[in-house]
Amino acid sequence: MIKITDLEKYYRTEEVQTVALNKLSFDVREGEFVAIMGPSGCGKSTLLNILGLLDDPDGGSFIFNGIEVSGFNERKRANLRKHNIGFVFQSFNLIDELTVYENVELPLIYTGVKAGERKERVQQVLEKMQIMHRRNHFPQQLSGGQQQRVAVARAVVNNPKLILADEPTGNLDSSNGNEVMDLLTELNQQGTTIVMVTHSEHDAKFSHRIIRMLDGQKVTENILAG
Amino acid sequence: MIRNYLKIAWRNIKKRKSIAFIHITGLAIGFTCATLIFLFISFHLSFDNFHRNSNRIYRLVTEIHREDIRYKATVPPGLPNVFKNNYSFAEKVTKIVDWDEQLITVKSGDSQESYKAKTAFTEPDFFRIFNFPLLHKNFSDELDAPNTAVITPQAAQKLFGDTPPIGKTFVWNNEETVLVTGVLRNLPENTMFTSEVFISLNTLRNSWVSKETWTGTSSSLQSFALLHPGQHPADIEQVMKSFNAIYLPDADKDEYTYKLQPFNSIHLDTQYSGGISKELLWTLGIVGILLLLIACINFINIAAAQSAYRSKEIGLRKVLGGFRKQLLLQFLTETFLITLIALIVGLGLSIVLLPYFNNIFGLSLSVSGLLTLPFTIFFIILLLGIPVLAGSYPGIILARIAPVLALKQKLTQKDTGGVMTRQVLITGQFIVSIILIAIMLLISKQIRYATQSDLGFDPSAIVMAGLPDLPDEKMKASGLTSLKSEILRSPYIEEASVCFTSPGAPINGWGTDVSFNGNPGQEKFLIESKMGDKDYLKTFGIRLVAGRNFIQKDSTDEVLVNETFGKKIGINDPEELIGKSITISEDYIHGRIVGVVEDFHDKDFRQNISPVFIAWDPDRAYNELGIKINRTHAAEAIRHIRNVWSSHFPDYIFEYHFLDERIAEMYESEQQFLALTRIFSLLAIFICSMGIYGLISLFVSQKTKEIGIRKVLGGKVFNILKLFSRDFLKMITIAGLIAGPIAWYFINKWLQHYTYRTTVSWWIFILPIGCMLLLSLVIITCKGYKAAMSNPAKSLRTE
Repeated sequence: MIKITDLEKYYRTEEVQTVALNKLSFDVREGEFVAIMGPSGCGKSTLLNILGLLDDPDGGSFIFNGIEVSGFNERKRANLRKHNIGFVFQSFNLIDELTVYENVELPLIYTGVKAGERKERVQQVLEKMQIMHRRNHFPQQLSGGQQQRVAVARAVVNNPKLILADEPTGNLDSSNGNEVMDLLTELNQQGTTIVMVTHSEHDAKFSHRIIRMLDGQKVTENILAG
Repeated sequence: MIRNYLKIAWRNIKKRKSIAFIHITGLAIGFTCATLIFLFISFHLSFDNFHRNSNRIYRLVTEIHREDIRYKATVPPGLPNVFKNNYSFAEKVTKIVDWDEQLITVKSGDSQESYKAKTAFTEPDFFRIFNFPLLHKNFSDELDAPNTAVITPQAAQKLFGDTPPIGKTFVWNNEETVLVTGVLRNLPENTMFTSEVFISLNTLRNSWVSKETWTGTSSSLQSFALLHPGQHPADIEQVMKSFNAIYLPDADKDEYTYKLQPFNSIHLDTQYSGGISKELLWTLGIVGILLLLIACINFINIAAAQSAYRSKEIGLRKVLGGFRKQLLLQFLTETFLITLIALIVGLGLSIVLLPYFNNIFGLSLSVSGLLTLPFTIFFIILLLGIPVLAGSYPGIILARIAPVLALKQKLTQKDTGGVMTRQVLITGQFIVSIILIAIMLLISKQIRYATQSDLGFDPSAIVMAGLPDLPDEKMKASGLTSLKSEILRSPYIEEASVCFTSPGAPINGWGTDVSFNGNPGQEKFLIESKMGDKDYLKTFGIRLVAGRNFIQKDSTDEVLVNETFGKKIGINDPEELIGKSITISEDYIHGRIVGVVEDFHDKDFRQNISPVFIAWDPDRAYNELGIKINRTHAAEAIRHIRNVWSSHFPDYIFEYHFLDERIAEMYESEQQFLALTRIFSLLAIFICSMGIYGLISLFVSQKTKEIGIRKVLGGKVFNILKLFSRDFLKMITIAGLIAGPIAWYFINKWLQHYTYRTTVSWWIFILPIGCMLLLSLVIITCKGYKAAMSNPAKSLRTE
């Protein structure tokens, strides 16, 4: 599903150039659950942004579903993103002014799904995430675990092929964290590819494969039995 | 999608109430001003536009070419008939004599009631040219016969109450009995004709205005022609050039030029004393636009500064697949919603403030002006235009920011629109405010100058009592002697003078020809007449500079002139004028100059002091009695005057006014303009302050971390306040430097209208700058002090 080859990304200020990704290469197969680990500043989030088509690489190749996407303009990227990729963030990133229902509905609005179908799909996913009873609440009225369940619901409502999760349990206690990991595992078992950035060895163990990074490069890759 | 946008917009308004309040109030105030100005301008542009053939109607006017050109909205009484009968230019020609307020008496059995009503005398064709229809029937031969009248429903109510007026009679000026033959529909506000009673012109068959004379004009007589289709006014004016040679052979043929003034342009043509100047309308229009603009600038600035708060949401929407276009549309929807609320609030405010606005301008603009097509178009343009103008900039900025940065909320000032752009916009607001305040200060200085300067006479505590329009015999000086002496009997009366008009603010201005010292021919200038008795100088405090006052005799052989007369004929030493002969208005006065008076302002400060003569004519009918009263006993004095006057003229209504008030009325348009600029300056300052407040609030919240660090490092409150004020001080200084020359330009242009003008003092420019500085500092101190005093541990934690 994903094939990156010699991917490069630099951050430049007026005087300094920092290498974020240094000729990074790896593949992710469809249906795989991959965890990316490494110390802060090793380039994990940069990588996730590029994989999520939120950022452009400065060099190398990025093939998504067989298409080279590294030169795509913003509109093409947005189009590809909204139909294929779901995001789960450490800080949940729900829109404060929207209710639970409306937050989950938003990706469907942007993909042009009709109102009737939207309602049905949002209800389905909220029930699946066991958050239906909170549908009219605003994010700030929910606990962290509930917020992250809403974020996962929003990520999957469009049935994306790929979910990118950036430290999904980073702001949660262990029990809520485990719940979220169980949700991701379940989604993966139903066929969704997941790439997760994490600091947590515990969370990483839910994946099939762990890629460890340092200074923008891949250092090791462990395939987990499971 | 739009529903979603509206929902978010509404929740954002609720969430950030103070910012929404600033947005809505600023825009609502801007819109209220724009609406009132719109109503004002459209009212003036709509003047007399309801007449069927208004583009073919012309007023016959005269240009008098002497030293300068004088524009008279009239022609000699003989001209309209010649125009009508000897040429085929026009379908119809009509005359109207407007004598303003006249005495109307209604008799009922033995009792009678007298009223003052605005009265004009005209012909049937007047109502065939203009659209002033009758109630219930069409015009046929109304006003053809002498002593008939048509009246408005208001006049009917005033004179006859609820009794049907047709067939009733009234007595005009205690002279003629007039039969009411028709009732007009109420005349609209937007017409130059303001009479309530229209009497047939034939009733004045013996009056000068009905004569076929070509010598002299009267400003109360106006003539209108409805030209045949296809007639070109320029061709007709060419033909009219020959009129002088035919009908006024003794006159200089180039002196009087007769012109056709398009009827549509009359109201805005100040040369012919039109209602209002185009310049004033333009200025008001620009001010309205500027006020709206500074409200929009607030909107843009605060919205752009707020982008940091909105960046997470925008970033997320992008991550979730929102296109730039969709995000921009979302912002425009929000701006649209705020604009809609602001416009509705503004509309409400306009309706509430309309009576006050009408009061300032002496108008009666109605709310129905808001239901017209032009206003609807204006409203829609604003409703769609403001969101585009005010929402696009922050919308574009937000829609173009990179989602990654937005999500991390690591936007720089550059990402959210740039400090420079915002500062330029705020500086723009300051510039507008400084200019408005400077103009306001200057206008009030000029009005003070005009009303408080030495006019060359003393208008204080002078009551001008009108004398009734009686047959000349009764109003001759001899008939007035006993009136004057009885009035002077009161200890509260200091002086009194029977006169034709007061020295300044003349209501019966009369300029005429003059020949000096036996010179053949007339001088190039006209001399203004101030006929009065020997007490004219004493009563009005006019000072002699040479010679003596005239002696009141049975003939007019002694004349006073002013210094300007001497200057006009090239004699600067007043003494040299004494004893010289003078002939005025051809054969009217042959006399010699016995005294020269110091120049006094016989007109307003826009115009030069005219050459003036003062003389006594025992055979003349006089219009007014100027009475100097004891100021501390004004009420008793007026009561005494009223009693004496009424005992002399029991069938007439006593009317008086104070001379200084009449002089102040000459500056009525300036007073109105001043009232408006004062309001608009205050509103501009208010809108500006809200903008400053909004920005400072955002600035403070964005600088929370910096404040914390500075305090930890030992920064004092003063230093932190300095941090906030530095940029504002810079902007106001730049604004002052830019606004100064612009204000100076407008001020000088405006002052050009005045021959006698105040000086443009330095403080007119410095005061507005100081005012904006003070305002900013107060807001910064109030808002910044709280931030500077906050616990640094807390401010660091919030980051």
